[in-house]
Amino acid sequence: MRKLELPLAQLRDGESGVIISINMTPRHRQGLHGHQWGFQKRLEDMGLTPGTKVMVIKSAPFHGPVELQVRGSRLAIGRGMAERVLVRVEK
Amino acid sequence: MTKKQITIALAGNANVGKSVIFNHLTGLHQHIGNWPGKTVEKAEGTLHFKGYTVDIVDLPGIYSLSTFSIEELISREYIAIENPDLVINVVDASVLERNLFFTLQLIELETPMVVALNQVDMAKKKGIKIDCKKLENILGVPVIPTIAPSQVGIYDLLETAVNIIEKGDSTPSYVRYGEEIEDKIQELSKVIEKIQLPYPARWVAIKLLEGDEQIESKIRQTDPNVLVKVEKLAGQIESIHGHSCTTVITSARYEVAGCIAREVQQIVPPAKPPMRERLHILTTHKLLGYPLMAAMLLSVFFAIFSFGDFTSGLLSDIFYSLEPIFSSLFGSGVVARLIWGGVLEGVIAGITVALPYLFPFYLMLYILEDSGYLSRVAFLMDNLMHKMGLHGKAFIPMMLGFGCNVPACLGCRIMETERERLLATFVVTLVPCAATSVVILGLVGAFVGVQWALLLYVIDLVIIFILGRMAFKALPGEPTGLIMEMHDYRIPHAETVVKQTWFRLKEFIKMAFPLIIVGSFVIKLAEVLNLLEPIADVLSPITVVWLGLPAITGITLIFGVLRKELTLIMLATLLGTANFALVLNPVQMFVFALVIMLYIPCIPTIGALVRELGWKKALFITVFEIAFAIIVGGIVYRLLLLANIL
Repeated sequence: MRKLELPLAQLRDGESGVIISINMTPRHRQGLHGHQWGFQKRLEDMGLTPGTKVMVIKSAPFHGPVELQVRGSRLAIGRGMAERVLVRVEK
Repeated sequence: MTKKQITIALAGNANVGKSVIFNHLTGLHQHIGNWPGKTVEKAEGTLHFKGYTVDIVDLPGIYSLSTFSIEELISREYIAIENPDLVINVVDASVLERNLFFTLQLIELETPMVVALNQVDMAKKKGIKIDCKKLENILGVPVIPTIAPSQVGIYDLLETAVNIIEKGDSTPSYVRYGEEIEDKIQELSKVIEKIQLPYPARWVAIKLLEGDEQIESKIRQTDPNVLVKVEKLAGQIESIHGHSCTTVITSARYEVAGCIAREVQQIVPPAKPPMRERLHILTTHKLLGYPLMAAMLLSVFFAIFSFGDFTSGLLSDIFYSLEPIFSSLFGSGVVARLIWGGVLEGVIAGITVALPYLFPFYLMLYILEDSGYLSRVAFLMDNLMHKMGLHGKAFIPMMLGFGCNVPACLGCRIMETERERLLATFVVTLVPCAATSVVILGLVGAFVGVQWALLLYVIDLVIIFILGRMAFKALPGEPTGLIMEMHDYRIPHAETVVKQTWFRLKEFIKMAFPLIIVGSFVIKLAEVLNLLEPIADVLSPITVVWLGLPAITGITLIFGVLRKELTLIMLATLLGTANFALVLNPVQMFVFALVIMLYIPCIPTIGALVRELGWKKALFITVFEIAFAIIVGGIVYRLLLLANIL
């Protein structure tokens, strides 16, 4: 049984989910703002806010970036970033 | 009418057709430079309309007005502080929701504005129909549908813009957030209104709640008490929503954008996927994407370099055929030699080396970028580029570096943040260019063996990976992964591409040519004053003792600064033979080629570095690479002697 809450990077091609949160690794959790702020803000500015529905179209091979359909547009985000976006998988 | 001079700024997301509109508006009256003190390109132009002289400023293509990239910061500072009379917000009708997110932020800045709803034809093909009147009513700003490539709506756009400016006092509407956020914004704005700031109070309130560092530090200088209030209000919002206040506000803004988009557009998706969709699937395919990319890039590469090679040879023949005429006119005195060898040869080097490659390169770069293929390549190559601390977008400039470092450096501006641009540019200057390959193949390949020439390339790639990673770790600032929109494929607008190419080329000539001329003049002066041999002697501790090369190579290393293939030509001239085996042993050849490969970006490349990064960083990279080449050269020399295999 797969868990219902997964990092975006682990979604299969064609699967969709709703963003729950963006998790920071300790490296990004520096200070109140600083690193964390920029990283998270960037993803959110591109439309990946909590509650948003995203669909994984496909991943590039060799652990490459993930292609997403979000808010009517097509985004590519690096795998490292996709690992930190937690989503609730939609059946 | 008292005011005859007006300024209009163009703002919008990347790839929405902003530059096509800019080109239609300004025609040939444009100027491309940098923002003061920044390495972000600034395109300006003028036009005359109904008795007005209209200055158009094309702001960088961005997705938000936060502080993530210099582009975003520049754009919002420009709009808030320089106060253009009006902002034309170019919006891609086929990706309305994402574009409106930016529009809402412009509205928050309370600047007079007009929305150009661009690419309505593309939207139509995707089955999206937008009710302009409705959108206009909701946003409270005029919305003009446009199709930039065929000039539809451009006149309307300009007319509306001028009308608004003439009317003056347009009271901008603003985005209303949910009640619990709205209350806090209002409460905070009341306090902020009392402080003198160049920004609208409501906007400052929103930015403070978003945790914007730049605005925070400005407030800290004027009234730190406000920040205490911000902290309290933000805390309340956070406890209601369970997310950080930044997240809540960004979400809310997207929420509004989404609502508006749903309200005004009707979507009937076409029955079968259109051509460009199938093309996208093919070009990003797990298996087929790579061979397609290789074929595509190799043919582009081949096209650029066969054109460059041919034109370069042709131009150089023409110019050098003028030399006898020149010397018959001016004799061969010291002054004449200085003028020919110092000034004119510098110009010739610039024209024959840089331009024939630069022109087709720019053209191809814009075609690839505009069509959307560049973002697909970045998608495919992202992972590999991460290994050297970069991300997918840096692949193109790096690959171009194998041809010529100059366009490669200039191409690095496709990277978003200053940090990434610096990293990419640095890595690119380490890539062996075509001229370096001439030395590697012509010396090591021909006299030592092809496998040794190949080894040099391998060493270079290893060095690139190591130095790239080290620079990645050492540079301050936040490493950013790849986040990009892959917009739909489209046919680039030929006129815009050609104009962009031309204006960038002009800009490069202005920047780099003085440097090239001064550089070659200095070297020629040294030659005329018979300083070359003393310099070679001064260099001999490095060349002879440390690198184990003949002293005379010191002179060639100096000339290599002009263009790297000159090192080989000079070596032949100085040694009086092209059979290098007679004068250099295999170890010396290998070390010589290695040093040439690494030691310095040539003067045109330094020119490009100065243009892109400014004097300080350009100088740093140059000095670093000289030192690095010498250190590595000496170590390899000793290793080769120890191993005794050559």
